[in-house]
Amino acid sequence: MSKDPRQLFPRGSGQRYGLMELVKGTSPMVGKGPEDTVMSWPHLLIMEVLAILGTTVLLLFWSLAINAPLREFANPDVTENPAKAAWYFMQLQEILLHMHPALAGVIIPVVMVIVLMALPYIDRSREDIGIWFASKKGRKIALFSTVYTTIWLIGLILFDEYIRVRSLIQEPEIWPGWLIPLAVIFGLSALLYFLLRRWRPTTREMLIGFFTAFVVTYILLTIVGLFFRGLGMHLTLPWNLPPGALTF
Amino acid sequence: MPSNRSITRIITQNRVWQSIFRQGYPDTDENQSKAITNSWFLHIHPVRVKTHTLKISYTWGLGVISFYLLVVLLVTGIWLMFYYAPSVERAYTDIQNLETSVTFGMLMRNMHRWAAHLMVLTVFLHMCRVFWTGGHKHPREFNWVVGVMLWLLTLLLSYTGYLLPWDQLAYWAVTVGTNMIGTTPLIGEQSRLILVGALETGPEALVRFYALHIFALFLPMIILVGVHFWRIRKDGGLSSPLASTDEPPEGGVK
Repeated sequence: MSKDPRQLFPRGSGQRYGLMELVKGTSPMVGKGPEDTVMSWPHLLIMEVLAILGTTVLLLFWSLAINAPLREFANPDVTENPAKAAWYFMQLQEILLHMHPALAGVIIPVVMVIVLMALPYIDRSREDIGIWFASKKGRKIALFSTVYTTIWLIGLILFDEYIRVRSLIQEPEIWPGWLIPLAVIFGLSALLYFLLRRWRPTTREMLIGFFTAFVVTYILLTIVGLFFRGLGMHLTLPWNLPPGALTF
Repeated sequence: MPSNRSITRIITQNRVWQSIFRQGYPDTDENQSKAITNSWFLHIHPVRVKTHTLKISYTWGLGVISFYLLVVLLVTGIWLMFYYAPSVERAYTDIQNLETSVTFGMLMRNMHRWAAHLMVLTVFLHMCRVFWTGGHKHPREFNWVVGVMLWLLTLLLSYTGYLLPWDQLAYWAVTVGTNMIGTTPLIGEQSRLILVGALETGPEALVRFYALHIFALFLPMIILVGVHFWRIRKDGGLSSPLASTDEPPEGGVK
């Protein structure tokens, strides 16, 4: 870059572009020629229009077929049984059954959000951007993490319903409310970490394992809380749910 | 090609049309790029996109679908506001009237509700897609953070809307939720009081949830959506695999 930029970009030559700024680093388009690109009109726009039309059709038919729920007038004196939050918060209400409310309803969600936001700052590699699950190994790790998390969660939910941590240890509250749940969370995370290590994963692949565990936990607990919790928030089967247990 | 007397020509070859669409029909590269850059609605797009961006199996269109659902929610939401007053006396009967006496009232309410639920789903799936394909990584770290905020806003907007019909479903779902907030160490009860506005879920809560729903949460939502889209462009479009492996992964400057 010994040349004067003004020579490269002379003024008043009838050109329709100008030098705006000199920056260090490669642009994200480095190594990508025009042959890797197409005109947005029509290629991108047609895809967007199709996505929009498809969504519209789905939403219209759904809205014609199924009416939004409207129950009786709100009555503070008549508690719904089960009293459930909106369906997308059922994973929080589910963990609420197993630990202290402050831990389940506030501390865990806040920590999860902070960890989620921190993810790209933990893993700074760039080689595997744009590849689903980073690699073949990453795919195996995601699958393993899914199976691992599913088995443990179902086991733990059944344990706390039919054997109950609180029937084993009641006092002081710090044990069933805080220490045991935290020990289970950290213990199972540590176990997952050591099990994943046998693949010798990169940071990225390890994070895929843990993110997948988070997603599986989130979805599975939502499903259990919504479809498998009946009167008094006790486990039941979806076809035995009391009326009003589905909070859509 | 349309002949001189064709109807297309009559529509497009006049000053009014040409004052709106400055370029000709986008069938040449030049007009196709102008169609994007000359349009306020379209100029958020780049003129050219990577072919990788268009792969359905890469994005599943989840970002576009989420944004479109937000637009549907805005339109149906404004429409619902014409018929709804956030007071304990009126809210419930307003919804009943909407369902029984307002033309297309039921359809509009259904669309608003189901679009909201669908958006909660698509935004979450979009987040999963971005992580699993590595789209959150450098240089897109901050846009990922914005995306997580958008996910939270989506949940909160849906949740605040949930109370508005003032039926048993709404009342108890919100009571369960605000009680959870009340358990926060140190600031729990204060936070709950700010949100509910009284000791119990009641008229004060309804007004506050309404204000949050239609404005206090929606405004940050549209601003952050703007930032999110703008950052996609600034960070080099949608993520895609690096072109060649011999490229230095970080920066590229020696």
